[in-house]
Amino acid sequence: MTLADQPLSSLGQSRRRRSIAPFLFISPWILGFVFFTLGPLLFSLTMSFYDWPVVGQRDFVGLNNYTTMLSQDPQFWESLAITAKFAAIFVPFNIGLAFLLAVLLNAKVIGSGFFRTIFYLPSVISGVALVMIWTWIYASNFGLLNYFLGLVGVQGPNWLGDPNWSIYAIIFASLWGLGGTMLILLAGLQSIPKELYEAARVSGVPAWAQVWHITLPMLSPMLLFTTITSIISAFQQLTIALLLTKGGPLGSTYFFAMYIYDNAFKYHDMGYAAAMSWVMFVIVLVLSAIVMRSSSAFVYYEGEVKAQAGGNDA
Amino acid sequence: MRKTALYGALIFLSALFVAPFVWTLITALKSQSDLVAFPPVMWPETWHWENFAEAWGKQPFNTFLKNSTIVVVLSTIGQLFSSSLVAFGFARFRFWGRDPLFILLLATMMIPWDVKMIPLYMEFNALGWINTLKPLIVPAWFGEAFFIFLLRQYIMTIPMEIDEAARMDGANSWQIYWRIHLPLMAPALVLVGTFHFMNAWNDYLGPLIFLNDQSTYTLPLGLALFKGLHETDVTSIAAVTIILCLPPLVLFFLAQRYIMDSALGSSVKG
Amino acid sequence: MNTTRLIATAMAAALLTTSALAQDKVLRFATWDSDESLAIQESIARMFEAANPGVTVQVEAYGDGYDEKLTAAMGAGDPPDVMYMWNFPAYAASLMPMEDLIARDAAEMDLADISPALMNISTIDGHTYGMPAGFTTQVVFYNKDMFAAAGIAEPQAGWTWDDLRAAAAQFRDAATNTYGFAVDAKPDPFDFEQFYWSNGTQFISDDGTTVDGYMNSAAGAEVLDMFADMIKTEEAVALNIGDDTSGSTLFKAGRIAMFQSAMWSMTGIQSSGINFGVVVLPNFGDQPAQSAIGASAMSIAKDAAEPELAWEFVKFFSSPEAVAMRTGDLPIRMSVAAAKGLTEDPIFQPFFTMLDQTTVHTAAFLQNENWGRIQENLSTAIEATMIDQGNAQAHLDEAVARSARFLN
Repeated sequence: MTLADQPLSSLGQSRRRRSIAPFLFISPWILGFVFFTLGPLLFSLTMSFYDWPVVGQRDFVGLNNYTTMLSQDPQFWESLAITAKFAAIFVPFNIGLAFLLAVLLNAKVIGSGFFRTIFYLPSVISGVALVMIWTWIYASNFGLLNYFLGLVGVQGPNWLGDPNWSIYAIIFASLWGLGGTMLILLAGLQSIPKELYEAARVSGVPAWAQVWHITLPMLSPMLLFTTITSIISAFQQLTIALLLTKGGPLGSTYFFAMYIYDNAFKYHDMGYAAAMSWVMFVIVLVLSAIVMRSSSAFVYYEGEVKAQAGGNDA
Repeated sequence: MRKTALYGALIFLSALFVAPFVWTLITALKSQSDLVAFPPVMWPETWHWENFAEAWGKQPFNTFLKNSTIVVVLSTIGQLFSSSLVAFGFARFRFWGRDPLFILLLATMMIPWDVKMIPLYMEFNALGWINTLKPLIVPAWFGEAFFIFLLRQYIMTIPMEIDEAARMDGANSWQIYWRIHLPLMAPALVLVGTFHFMNAWNDYLGPLIFLNDQSTYTLPLGLALFKGLHETDVTSIAAVTIILCLPPLVLFFLAQRYIMDSALGSSVKG
Repeated sequence: MNTTRLIATAMAAALLTTSALAQDKVLRFATWDSDESLAIQESIARMFEAANPGVTVQVEAYGDGYDEKLTAAMGAGDPPDVMYMWNFPAYAASLMPMEDLIARDAAEMDLADISPALMNISTIDGHTYGMPAGFTTQVVFYNKDMFAAAGIAEPQAGWTWDDLRAAAAQFRDAATNTYGFAVDAKPDPFDFEQFYWSNGTQFISDDGTTVDGYMNSAAGAEVLDMFADMIKTEEAVALNIGDDTSGSTLFKAGRIAMFQSAMWSMTGIQSSGINFGVVVLPNFGDQPAQSAIGASAMSIAKDAAEPELAWEFVKFFSSPEAVAMRTGDLPIRMSVAAAKGLTEDPIFQPFFTMLDQTTVHTAAFLQNENWGRIQENLSTAIEATMIDQGNAQAHLDEAVARSARFLN
């Protein structure tokens, strides 16, 4: 049986039928949420109120994990500050650079498919190979980066070994994977009707104004998407730092997500890890909500379902 | 003049993005003595192409390839179907509880996997799915928040008039989704397919946690076997990494034109 | 509709072929080893299967992801039956105590053949949670050709750190980026404690409650300052400060003349073709150097379906024939070591000397359940001293202060 067998939500259908249609469409996600997410979510919330070693005696401790974190654990605040710094730099650069690349590739160029593939290349390489690649780039003696800096007469720092530079090294390495964001924005650019630009050109609107009045508003739904997902990935930043610096030197790249990871896998303190996860969850949720809220001011939806428009109103 | 600057910028940036890949390739072709040489050998005198076959033969990679293919193909189909369906539901209907549900959907992206892992393991264990490929395939059939959000944003850039016109012609919601929006979504679906393919193809933690013995391992687990606690088989890692990059790259190269040939950008009047 | 059904069928078929076929008895055995060591363990498992018809040993190799996998499986109550183990304090509650079984089968197992220092590392509160299968101590590898070329006498057993530093200073050559020795700025504290022991101190009090006056003792600070000074004077290159070129890579490339390591570097160094020798760790003054003892120990899950079978398997792994098959580490049985000629071989003999001259110490991680967190502060202090090239006392005092809340 498929949904095609029963006409849904067409204008002549009964009210009951129509009101169930949207739920049929979103039912896969609802079921998936109930089966694979809700349980783990409640489980981890429970864990956060316990002293919960991986094996052995579990003791209810109330809000103890949360109060310890906030009042006694300097590591919690340090890692949170590092993560915030990372996010504050990474998110705008990730979106800005991806936008620039997308605009470059949106122009009519020969071999654009080739260039698109190249820019996506880093996103294809994963895991263990990344370590080799980046240590080769950042090595202070024979590294590629310092070699090029040397050509222009700059003595490069020990990127991964100097606590003042390591965070920027991690940011740079993370930005290297912006191919995904670029593609999303590219797809968004492609969906902007060409007629809009033609009309603007005919009326003599300069190029920068076309970007401001056509490209940015039309792209705003995708910019919203990339902003929120970049914030989430910035706060969950773990893999690159774990592989490249293991949080060092001197804890200068010890991210919040890494502290959660260590609590779970090194200290086997699942209760504390769960409590920290919930704190991170709330922080990211609040940030996303702020972005979402303010988005109504600048995000323009061509196909928004408005109450008056009727549409598929149920 | 302008074009020259554009190509100049593109070529410079390409070099930046492609250099590490080239380095990995060179590393894969090095002899053992080149590998330990210090300072590093930039351009080996002899190229050891046999390293590829040797690395591939060190583990049962054919089995891993079969498992990875099953996981990637089946989960990608599920992901494309379910995520587009759910995204259409969120983008094109007004219904009771829509906005809170959507916030909930976004929220599910924000839970770190560290704390989900043990309860999920328990659940899959109770279902008897541990050491099978099911935990890596079945959840994709229920859609993933990131992709649903992406597709929803994309659908919302499509003018509502298209739906209304179809409805006037007597189409129902399923038909509007299936016949009109799926083709219009093609660029975004290619993205979702690409991203999901990559995630599933490169996923290391999922297989590590849910699979037990080598007969069920996927490629990234096989690759990780080259990294021991104290010693790492660098050549083999580089060789297998290159091999693992090729299928997604070729697929992406073939698929990316569909991101460009958007039906919407060229034919739909705004 | 047809497509949907087709996909469903394909899925079902795919999933069926991947599920394991039913066997009489399946014993799950998890290991962190890879490559050759893994192949050896698989052949030991096949031998065990041959000796026990109807039994299948499922070898599960997780390599570098071992700790993550074990955490998930243990936390969800689904551990393997038999597993490699090092973190006894974390998992003891789910492991089967073995002391009664060991006592029962003592005669058959010939325990006198196994050094008590090797049993000590898997014992907590009188319960033994693991049987060693292989071990390593720490030694110094040195490049014979480099010593000959520089006209420096090769190091001898009984040498001191002053001897090492004097020799190392002569190898420094900035033009070729050559050093005499390498100091790890981020050592594994488990291995590093050997230097505390060698200098007459330890990380934590015997009762496991106090680090103040131990971790930050003058003798401890002296150890850290000495290594930092070796970096400062360029007698040694610093490892793991932003550059993950390993000491073994530098040694194999002839860029360092001496390299402190353990058995896990042996195969690589042997196959590199370097003309090398092995010598015991240097002494601090006249106190005999102590060594960290790393062992691969085998543990059994408390809820193993077939505890007797699992125990048979563990015993088999520490039996002379299985021990003799291992080449990646050293034989736990002195009879096997002697039969293989290792105790006479100048390359291997120093490892056994280190085992003999190490008085039984209990590693800090067995003494305090919060050691993992305390150790993190210690690691930072070591790293800070190496980056600072000194000031060990201040960094260690800070580590002690930051550890206070884990000690109550």
